[in-house]
Amino acid sequence: MSSFENGWALTLIVFLPLVGAAAILAIPKAQEEAQKWTALLFAGVSFALSVIVVFQFDYSAAQKIQFGPDSTLTWIGAINSNYAIGIDGISLPLLVLSTFMTVLAIIYSWDHWPEPHNPKIFSVLILVLATGMNGTFVALDLILFFVFFEVVLLPMYFMIGIWGDRNKVKVPVIGLETEMRLYASIKFFLFTLFGSAFMLLGFLTLYFKSGMETFSITDLSGGSAEEALGKFAFWVFAALFLGFAVKVPMFPLHTWLPDAHTAAPTVGSVLLAAILLKLGTYAFVRIAIPILPAQAKNWAPAIAILAVIGIIYASLACLAQTDMKRLIAFSSVGHMGFVMLGIATLTDIGINAAIIGMVAHGVITGLLFFVAGSMSHRYHTREMARLGGNQTLMPIMGGILAFTAMASLGLPGLAGFWGEFLSLLASFNPLPGLSTTLFRTLMVIGGVGTVLVAGYLLWMLQKVNFGEPKPEWEGHELHDVDKYELAAWVPLVVATIAIGIFPRLIFGATGDAVHALVSNLSKALGG
Amino acid sequence: MSPLDYHALAPEIILAVTVLGVLVVDLLPVRKVWTAAVALIGLFLAFIPLLTLGLCDTLSFCTDTGVRTMFDGSYVVDMFSLVLKGLFLGAAFVALLISTGYLERGRYWEGEFYFLMLASVLGAVVMASSRGLVTIFVALELVTGPTFLLAGWRKANRRSQEAALKYFIIGVLSASILLFGMSLVYGITGELTFSGIREAVVAGELANPAYADAPLLTLGVLFTLLGFGFKISAVPFHFWTPDTYEGAPAPVTAYLSVVSKAAGFVGMLVISYAAFADLRNIWGPALWILAALSMTLGNLTALRQNNIIRMLGYSSIAQGGFILAPFGAALVAGITGSQLEEAFFATVTYLLIYAFMNLGAFAVVIAVSKRIGSAEIDDWGGLYQYAPGLAGLTLVFFLSLAGVPPLAGWFAKFVMFRALIVPGNGWTIALAIIAAVNSVIGFVYYSRVVKAAWFDAVPEDVLSGEAREDSVPPSLGLALGITAIGVIVVGFFPGILSSLSEMTKVFVAGF
Amino acid sequence: MTALFALAAPFLLAAEEGGHAVETVDGGFMAHWAWLIPVVPMVATFAIVLFGKRSPWKGWGMAWASMGFVAVYSVILFIMNLNDPIAYQGAVSIGEIGADGLGNIFGLEWGWMVDGLSIMMYLVVGVVGFLVFTYAKGYMEGDIRYTWFFASFALFGGGMLVLVSAPNLIQLIVGWELVGVASYLLIGHYWEDHDNSSAGIKAFLVNKVADVGLFIGAIIIGLSVGSFRFTDIMEVVSHGDTHSTLAQYSFWAGLAIFIGAMGKSAQFPLHVWLPDAMAGPTPVSALMHAATMVTAGVYLLGRLFPFFSTPGFADDVRWIIIIIGTLTLFLTGLIALVQDDIKKVLAYSTLSQLGYMVTAMGAGAYTAGLFHLFTHAFFKSLLFLCAGSVIHSVHSNNMSDMGGLRKHMPYTFWTFVIGSAALAGIVPLAGFWSKDEILAGIQYAGGNYTTVEGGAALANFVLVVAIGGAFITAFYMMRAVSLTFFGTYKGHGHPHESPKIMTYPLVALAFFSVVIGWINIPGVTEFHTKGVSALFYTITEHHATGINYGLALLGTLAAVGGVVIGYFLWFADKETQQERDRFRIPVLYPLLEHKYYIDDFYMDGIIRPIRGPVARGVDWFNGHVIDLVVNGAGFLATRLARLVYWFDQRGVDGAINASAAAAGGSGGLLRLLQTGRVQQYVFLIVTGVVVLVAGFIIF
Repeated sequence: MSSFENGWALTLIVFLPLVGAAAILAIPKAQEEAQKWTALLFAGVSFALSVIVVFQFDYSAAQKIQFGPDSTLTWIGAINSNYAIGIDGISLPLLVLSTFMTVLAIIYSWDHWPEPHNPKIFSVLILVLATGMNGTFVALDLILFFVFFEVVLLPMYFMIGIWGDRNKVKVPVIGLETEMRLYASIKFFLFTLFGSAFMLLGFLTLYFKSGMETFSITDLSGGSAEEALGKFAFWVFAALFLGFAVKVPMFPLHTWLPDAHTAAPTVGSVLLAAILLKLGTYAFVRIAIPILPAQAKNWAPAIAILAVIGIIYASLACLAQTDMKRLIAFSSVGHMGFVMLGIATLTDIGINAAIIGMVAHGVITGLLFFVAGSMSHRYHTREMARLGGNQTLMPIMGGILAFTAMASLGLPGLAGFWGEFLSLLASFNPLPGLSTTLFRTLMVIGGVGTVLVAGYLLWMLQKVNFGEPKPEWEGHELHDVDKYELAAWVPLVVATIAIGIFPRLIFGATGDAVHALVSNLSKALGG
Repeated sequence: MSPLDYHALAPEIILAVTVLGVLVVDLLPVRKVWTAAVALIGLFLAFIPLLTLGLCDTLSFCTDTGVRTMFDGSYVVDMFSLVLKGLFLGAAFVALLISTGYLERGRYWEGEFYFLMLASVLGAVVMASSRGLVTIFVALELVTGPTFLLAGWRKANRRSQEAALKYFIIGVLSASILLFGMSLVYGITGELTFSGIREAVVAGELANPAYADAPLLTLGVLFTLLGFGFKISAVPFHFWTPDTYEGAPAPVTAYLSVVSKAAGFVGMLVISYAAFADLRNIWGPALWILAALSMTLGNLTALRQNNIIRMLGYSSIAQGGFILAPFGAALVAGITGSQLEEAFFATVTYLLIYAFMNLGAFAVVIAVSKRIGSAEIDDWGGLYQYAPGLAGLTLVFFLSLAGVPPLAGWFAKFVMFRALIVPGNGWTIALAIIAAVNSVIGFVYYSRVVKAAWFDAVPEDVLSGEAREDSVPPSLGLALGITAIGVIVVGFFPGILSSLSEMTKVFVAGF
Repeated sequence: MTALFALAAPFLLAAEEGGHAVETVDGGFMAHWAWLIPVVPMVATFAIVLFGKRSPWKGWGMAWASMGFVAVYSVILFIMNLNDPIAYQGAVSIGEIGADGLGNIFGLEWGWMVDGLSIMMYLVVGVVGFLVFTYAKGYMEGDIRYTWFFASFALFGGGMLVLVSAPNLIQLIVGWELVGVASYLLIGHYWEDHDNSSAGIKAFLVNKVADVGLFIGAIIIGLSVGSFRFTDIMEVVSHGDTHSTLAQYSFWAGLAIFIGAMGKSAQFPLHVWLPDAMAGPTPVSALMHAATMVTAGVYLLGRLFPFFSTPGFADDVRWIIIIIGTLTLFLTGLIALVQDDIKKVLAYSTLSQLGYMVTAMGAGAYTAGLFHLFTHAFFKSLLFLCAGSVIHSVHSNNMSDMGGLRKHMPYTFWTFVIGSAALAGIVPLAGFWSKDEILAGIQYAGGNYTTVEGGAALANFVLVVAIGGAFITAFYMMRAVSLTFFGTYKGHGHPHESPKIMTYPLVALAFFSVVIGWINIPGVTEFHTKGVSALFYTITEHHATGINYGLALLGTLAAVGGVVIGYFLWFADKETQQERDRFRIPVLYPLLEHKYYIDDFYMDGIIRPIRGPVARGVDWFNGHVIDLVVNGAGFLATRLARLVYWFDQRGVDGAINASAAAAGGSGGLLRLLQTGRVQQYVFLIVTGVVVLVAGFIIF
């Protein structure tokens, strides 16, 4: 086995961006071109490597962990934590998504630096973020996972805090008046910190109470660890649930999301929506379910109910939004609701649906945030009431917005459809033992949710794109999409269509992995 | 009376010589820089024998490896003491680096300063090896004595005077309490060495199961530990800390909050794990309470601070709580040897990491306030716009204190949580949750500094034109470099450091 | 083009023979390549979006050519199918989604079906579509979004063909929603006007509501059969195993599916979107909202016909289908009477005709229902195109601005008359034959379905209503003809006949409207019956073997009656026709005018409350209730901190500072001591120690 397949590929994919960040720090502040190119170079190479991995990946053994080092590399001996990495069919699509979005983010930023300018630090943050995201998707050691999971926080915190929205907001309840970016960034950080504290608690309990004295995800999987945990299993899952659900985010832990998204600079929202939200759902699939199958089953109904509440709740909230970005942010909560519903069914279809749903949401909502960002960049407002006639003022931008909105409402033939429809499909026949009555009811409610989703997106389009342009924009220099935007967006459009027409692009990788996951699950449940 | 093992005592001897050397050089008509140089070189030299002792079994010239016991067992050189001596020397080295520039600028007396600081360091180094009531008390006083003077180094400043005086009186009081406790212990057990005390207790318990619960013994143990409670400024014995920290010159504060505090913790470690090993039912709960109080009150109070030094003062109280927390695990009755080792390991690891990130934090505070002439958090606004480097370091140290991965602090907190969860006892879990809540609170005020440095705009009143050009003195820069690299590297590869503190487990081995 | 084929190669390779044909052949080459039928228009769509503006004819060319291709291809298939029926399906897997909770393994497929039913739909979409596209070039000349229009129109063509070529429910859903989007885009084509975009949204949302039904129906059927393929579903049905999973859920499945059909085929009470859809350009109304898209629901019922007709499965849903269909055909027909907008008249007439088809499907008259779909496609699109031609020349939709156009636009006039006659069901035009078969079918149902209590009575009642519907149809068409083409011109400007590119398609469609019915004269020419029932699975329906003269007579009488009364009302005295048209029947008129208040109910009863109070409430809840915990926690922490700090400072220092102040601020060690600060500390610390120690000694 070549050293490339033997851990090096993934290591490079994960840490090249970090190296790039260091390199950029070394470049004088004035030389912005050099900084941009360095950023693009390192992100690009990392993406290219992930593409090579895509082609070298052995799809006939998608359930096997691949590209990991074949010998255990000790990382922190004292706590018996190893540098265990690797990917299977489940993590592969997400890893590629992450490297892909990073490159696009950098391309988009090329001359869309949010205020205050400072491309140097901004691109450093993007790259550090990339390391955290990629790392989370390849980590197979709980502590390693935890560290990557947390590494993601800081860059996003700074992106929101420094380049975020400077409008004043009045915080409800305590009535403190502060800048949006400050409130949003600290809220984002505290929510996640709160979650991860419990997550860590869970990991540690898992380590000791399982008596297996290991943080290796693969070793803990399979249910034996859970049996050893005994009565602790419930609490461990609860702790993990808190940690992951905050990140997803699931109702009612979602309130950081709209603020964070609204405040964040365009690229921040894009990466937040496209990748960061996936860390939570991925963790459910990668950690919570395999390690605690029985608890996963106990919790499934609760998770499913919260997920569906999330769908309806978010859609209704969307209907009330006047701020375009905030609307899209809330829509994310709804879409992740479908993903969680799929996961909660604990079936092949459901989890496949969840993964394709994650990828689709990443691509589509990422694009939505790109467009929303570019529009507010031009109009200097996100108030939908003031926009309108955008289709006339900027035909291409409007067209892409319309396309993306359609994709986002789950139009069949585009990527969004599969996740939505298949998770409903899965909830008709959930894992045996789960209440079919409950899940079928949820299926119907979720179905109704799709109508609301269509509703708020179409009304958004009507407000933003249609109608006569508002007089206030007369004489404004509103140029349509520029080449950087196109370069960043067209790939996403293509991906949306490609996955929509040929979902095997995802299922081809996930299918066997998910099947193995679920069959282990039912084995562990004595099924 | 065996002949002295000079190899084992080499660090202390070198330090002692340096102390005198500093005085001499100070008398010579040379620039004060040389005094500093001598002090630094002395510290560096003292480090070498540590290595030779540590790697004894691999070195040819080094005979009789293993633990070296002297003075009837009241002075021991083992891995534990070596690692912590290393910590003291390293920390003192950085503290000195921080001081030099500060002193030059502030036109303070320098020679004496170094003399006193080194003397105090000597005390700390001795502390690491003390295994007897007398030695440990001497060591402690040697650590503290000079700092009374150092605290008042800003002679012109009334607050500084006040702080020093306060510190002095409280120090004396604590010493007396400590002494009282020790005398009680000695009176009951009739032993001075820890090993002796421990055996006496065991024997006593064999004779009479209620022995350990004897009020007098309890009183002795508690007074002894509370005596240390002052040194580590654990709530409710912390009142002197903020005022003293604020009043003392910043480098001294750094030294106090790291070296002398660490010395206090070391004393606490050795005395509780060695002497009172079988009286955990007494000190376990006591320290549990101190830990919970310190981290909670320290954090909550820090929330309200606007002056960074003061905030760091309270933060160090809270951090002290985190360091104490693993002791709390000892209250679990059925705790196993390996679990105790975990607790011990956690405390040592936290101590090592804390030393570096806290020194770094002080260093950056000194650098910045030297630049903007203010230690008010609000005046740090927009630091990154004119001093990106310092802003970056602020980020590194303060978020490391907050325990955010991948900065060293996360690992310290991690092992602390780990030690509390291992026993899986209700009380320790409770402490773990208190600690978890506190680390979130902690983040709030640490991030406040970061937020000021990165998110806020530059306030008009601060930062006159030349301040922008003002650069960091090389010595301070070196200090910053050392600590920053330490914090980051340890953050990514905690193994490096944990392997060191792993070795100290020998101390509790065989419980 | 070669590139296109290269792109299609994988499909070809994956193509597989499937299902079991009922004395059919696989159609060979033509069927094998039939996947081009949906693919070509789809490719054309992308091509138009990307290069349309720079291409000759600004994109119309590509759209037109693609529809021409489909037309030719479908005609060939149609003829082949008449000679010897074809049943072919090809499929390519696009991914396995694994097993559901019960272990059924699922694959996703794109595929294409070539059998009687789909061929008929190809023909309708292809031929009518081709003619409408031709017409549209003239009609849309100089439109602000000419290219975009044809892109969306081609998208519709592609979507519709994806729908009708679907061999499985998933692909059907895909096509289903694609045409929905196309419809949304085209209805809102003139989106500068808020009403138009609202109409588009209305259409989309009403359909989306129905689609929830379709989704759920598809899910239930798919999961209980273990496959989404129609052939597999029908296999289960053909075994008639009433204990199968499918049979257990079939009522709900059937109902859900039918709700889906109600949306697309605009059945009462989900019909409200279709009249508003007339906001789109007329060719759109002609092709989508008359001829093809709205018949998708009927097509779906036809595609799943055995499922609805086999006892033990969804056959008890059929009563619901019949009732809904009948309500639609009658109620909407009445509304058509009071419309002034000529397109609205035709729209409501379409609704009514869709009611006929659905009723027929419910009554088990498979062939008849689809035959009416077939003929209706021709004459209704003809009528719309005529209306378009009129509107094009008088620049108004309202018949009150028309009148007397007979002389000005002869082609339009004559073709419109033919279309109306066909619609009214005048012998021997197309409408007559299909409507007659439906009546026969309903009558047979009445005679046959005694299984259900009162079934026969219901069916007979339906029959009466249906005949009444025929009367109404003739009546309002007579009105439309009179008000539009007779009497005096009341509009502005000088009306003129439309250009040839618009009139030729009219003539062609008029020709079909006359002759197309003859292909299925019961007992004489049964090409349609033979063709459309060529499927993978057998259709069991009664089909009249000869003309039912009684019903034919009744139907004709009703129609003629409508014409005659219409004649006296609007035709006889052309000068006063408008006055008479303004005559209002007291109770009935307001009811009809307000469309039975259904729209108002939807708007004020559902949409507005949800968009308004409910949504705002949720948003408020978000900020003020959920965040209460978060912000509240932060709030408490700060307050607690203030308290602790107060204790830490005031409690200790406060008193001290006071005394210090009293002692006078100036320095000096002695005074510092005297300020008592230190004593305070010592005091506090000693108390601390004592408390702790005491605690330990006691406990």
